[in-house]
Amino acid sequence: MSTAALAPEWLTAREIALCPCGCIGKRRKANFVEKTIIGAANVLKQAMFSADVASQPGLLQRIQPAVKVVTMLALLMATAVVRHLSILVALYAATLAIAVASGLPLWFFVKRVWLFIPIFTGVIVVPATLNLITPGRVVIPLGTWFGHSVGVTAQGLTSAGLIVARVATSISLVVLLTLTTPWNKLLAALRTMRVPKMFVLVLGMAYRYIFYLLETVTDMYTARKSRTANHRNNTSSGRAFVAATAGATFGKAHALSIEVHDAMVARGYTGNARSIDHFQIVKRDVVWVLACSVTIAATLGVNYALGS
Amino acid sequence: MHIPDGYLSPATCGAFGVVMVPIWARAGRGVRKVVTSRYVPLVAIGAAYCFVVMMFNVPIPDGTTAHAVGGVLIAVLLGRWAAVIAVSVALLIQALFFGDGGVLAFGANAFNMAFVMPMVGYGVYQLLTRRVSLTSPRRAAAAGLGGYIGLNVAALVTAVEFGLQPTLFHTADGTPLYAPFHLGQTIPTMALAHLAVAGFVEAILTAGVIAYLQRANLPVLRINHSGVATTDEDLVAAPKLGWRWIAVGMGTMIALTPLGLVAPGSAFGEAAPKALNLRKYHLNAVPDGLRRYAGWWHHTIFNGYDFANDKHPAIGYLISAVFGILAIAIVIAIVLGSLGVYRRHQRPDRIPA
Repeated sequence: MSTAALAPEWLTAREIALCPCGCIGKRRKANFVEKTIIGAANVLKQAMFSADVASQPGLLQRIQPAVKVVTMLALLMATAVVRHLSILVALYAATLAIAVASGLPLWFFVKRVWLFIPIFTGVIVVPATLNLITPGRVVIPLGTWFGHSVGVTAQGLTSAGLIVARVATSISLVVLLTLTTPWNKLLAALRTMRVPKMFVLVLGMAYRYIFYLLETVTDMYTARKSRTANHRNNTSSGRAFVAATAGATFGKAHALSIEVHDAMVARGYTGNARSIDHFQIVKRDVVWVLACSVTIAATLGVNYALGS
Repeated sequence: MHIPDGYLSPATCGAFGVVMVPIWARAGRGVRKVVTSRYVPLVAIGAAYCFVVMMFNVPIPDGTTAHAVGGVLIAVLLGRWAAVIAVSVALLIQALFFGDGGVLAFGANAFNMAFVMPMVGYGVYQLLTRRVSLTSPRRAAAAGLGGYIGLNVAALVTAVEFGLQPTLFHTADGTPLYAPFHLGQTIPTMALAHLAVAGFVEAILTAGVIAYLQRANLPVLRINHSGVATTDEDLVAAPKLGWRWIAVGMGTMIALTPLGLVAPGSAFGEAAPKALNLRKYHLNAVPDGLRRYAGWWHHTIFNGYDFANDKHPAIGYLISAVFGILAIAIVIAIVLGSLGVYRRHQRPDRIPA
């Protein structure tokens, strides 16, 4: 199955010299110009990839966006109150199953979720497993430190497992929602959920113009890169360039906001936002809501039964 | 500083969500009043700009790069209430579309980065730019300092949110349910990272953009600075803070100094190590160094703010206060004099280099 039906191949392919393992070409630290260009390209890539996946047939793609938003929020809250690792692992497994049913490439989905927040979380909670930070029953003694015995506690390990599993499950739920819902449908869903229209309008316009501004910034950075002969960094001139680029971008953004306002007024904008979205709940949405309700009820029930 | 879902308890997330609702409502009113119908595109593109600013890699020594948040920059450019909305929208887009920062934790993230940061940073900026012209270098420096302080206060608030989790939310056997580190660990860690690196990155970007706009695009700075004089020459002479008021303030403080007599004992046995409550600090004896160096310097004029063998302690305090203030004033006058501050004020016709 093609994962990128619409995104051009050159956009999703890695540049040869930038291979992170250093196996092709000479590896060197990317400087701020390259990092910003790559960062902007990644945002674009992610957005286009989401659009590609959202347009493919699959389980979640067929559910009404508003229904999806509400059920995902409910599942997120259920994940947040769970106090047992086993339940969190089960919930995480369920997100994997839904990802497969929605036609998401499994490895991609796992990578997207785990890189980089859950792994980062796992690293930073390592010290918290020691009895110095989380006191409790020591299961792995590690010797003494300034006369205090140091060791990994059962409480610390459980806590680390809980937070990593909870973070991974929560991110999976959000990624499932955003990958299977085109952004304009997501905004329309927010409108039907009685989020203030003005707020949704601002959100939609902001999302749209992020890509315009990113293009402007990428152009300026590419121009800089193509004029730079060597890779030695001059930090202070680099900072001056970043400040000037950010300042110039603000000038352009402001000019753009005036033009957009004029265009809106020319099309009859008087300060009220209107939408033409109409959602109809069908049978499969009801089934989805029921399935989610059962999952949440089971999660909370088992969580309660296992006690605190 | 983006908090992902899972670090904070649902109760904490809910509380911050509830706190943010009136703040957003107030921000909406505040912005609409200033820019009326142009409000939607201005705030929307402000939010898009904020998102883009968060992507700028700022080069720092050692060839590495770091990101800025830009909350204070947006506040200086568009006003603090517009910044609240713009940064919130940028954070929501990051959370919803790019999985950066939690969806349930959105309220807490918005409180830290979209409310605390622009409000504190902009407050500092305003405090330092009263009666400063639009093109003055002080304005860019003030924006930079605002960015530094705003980011650090936001980091402190974030550290407190994390640090309260293990105390408030744990199981019966002490297993932390959410972020496991205590206040004693979160605050120093966050403070170190933000005071040493991230704060400077924020300051450099904020000050740099303002300095650039002062040179290249002054009309854009006018959006949030209408009525500010363009150059130093256009400034209307400020009514000087009268000597009388300074004297009244100083006099009040001098008159209040005997209040110190009300406090019992001495802090950590500073005057008499024997009076130290050893058990309170888990000590067996007075520490060697403290015993040796206590009272090492005897050549004081008013030993222990004393006067006439402590017959009139209140008068001793008052006289000590007057002497102290005079001594400090003389030192400041000498320092300023040696820096040539007075001379510059006396010759306003001097052409700046």
